Amino acid sequence: MCLAIPAKVMRINHAHAEVDIMGVRKQINTLLIDHLNVGDKVMVHAGFAINKINEEDFNFLRDTLQNMLGNSP
Amino acid sequence: MTEEEKRLILKTVAQINESVKSDIRIMEVCGTHTHQITRFGIRKLLTPKIHLVSGPGCPVCVTEPGYIDALIALLTQKNVVVATFGDLLRVRGSSGSLEEQKVAGKKVITVYSPEDVLALAKSHKEENFVFAAVGFETTAPLYAALIQMARKEGIQNLFLLTSLKRMEPAIRFILWDSKVNIDGMLCPGHVAVITGIGPFLPITVKYHIPAVICGFESMDIIFSISILCRQIAGENPIQFMNTYRRCVSDDGNPAALHLIKEVFRISDVSWRGIGWIKDSALTLNSRYEEYDAFKRFGLEMESTPAIFLDGCECGKILIGEKTPNMCVNFGCLCTPDHPLGPCMTSSEGACAAYYRYGGSEN
Ligand code: SF4
Repeated sequence: MCLAIPAKVMRINHAHAEVDIMGVRKQINTLLIDHLNVGDKVMVHAGFAINKINEEDFNFLRDTLQNMLGNSP
Repeated sequence: MTEEEKRLILKTVAQINESVKSDIRIMEVCGTHTHQITRFGIRKLLTPKIHLVSGPGCPVCVTEPGYIDALIALLTQKNVVVATFGDLLRVRGSSGSLEEQKVAGKKVITVYSPEDVLALAKSHKEENFVFAAVGFETTAPLYAALIQMARKEGIQNLFLLTSLKRMEPAIRFILWDSKVNIDGMLCPGHVAVITGIGPFLPITVKYHIPAVICGFESMDIIFSISILCRQIAGENPIQFMNTYRRCVSDDGNPAALHLIKEVFRISDVSWRGIGWIKDSALTLNSRYEEYDAFKRFGLEMESTPAIFLDGCECGKILIGEKTPNMCVNFGCLCTPDHPLGPCMTSSEGACAAYYRYGGSEN
């Protein structure tokens, strides 16, 4: 029930935004987010954006794992 | 998943399996983690020494039957529509489920977002809409936003029947009061999106148990388990970690936290199969009591404990004492089509996840 899925902001309309969720367009509520821009990535939970995400940080995982394991295949 | 990621995962798994020398128990608190761990087959990859046990983080599973009864009682009143997320429909109270009421023609609607109910309330002024507000901190701000929007627009036919729960007191209960033996914790990523890391810090600081805020991809989970295993084995000092930094900031979502504080107050609530946990509920505060369906419709929550049918072990599964396959009913008398307990009824329940993905416990 606490599932949230990533979406990309395509258009902003006051307290709402049109987002792209894996190719599907949806209207979501953006009241919980400050300073939203077109192109931002957000996590969507039950029709509300609950935060902005920083996709680059996913690389943090990969990099840390690489470091832990050493770089050999 | 890229080939590189696959290689990393398998290598990390091999390293974890080699390093774990004695039996350890890691709890995934969140129902979505239970679902993902089972879906990715992570238990099967790991050594049998690592026991991944489920926790109380499936909101539907921990909702008391008395709450379902209160929703059903509402349906006997004139001009009342009960709105809910789909997950709650099949959960049984002592007098049946909302799904049965719906089939019998009662006014039960399922919605995708709490905001959907706002539009309905505006266009159907003759009906009173009661939203079954179930969930943890991830969902609580959405209900708070709904109520604020209703107030702003002067809507008077929209109410919440709250059964909202807080994660931190439940974790405290498991680690302190229940004395269930847990060596490490995977903390719920999407609760932490809202709360930040604060509520989870006591796990390491006060209870000295390794804990990681974890995302929901296979790499997130494997990486977090490897961190926990190293700390449990004493290779690294016990230190709180957040491996879901792409979503979870230290402070969480301030706007959402502000809304929760504005609309709700903290109180006590009983968790299905577990019992009363102090300070674990969010209920509408006095500033917003005109939206409280308990008050508006004169409802009481019966505090009768859940009666689990024929040996259902949900109560023990929800605090990590047992796993679904320890229940005699699992997969024979109890299946997702004919669930006996809430852990099989909710798609995020441990029993449903094990059944669906064959999550054989090692
Ligand atoms: S398998 Fe069914 S009866 Fe057994 S614990 Fe799970 S929900 Fe309860």
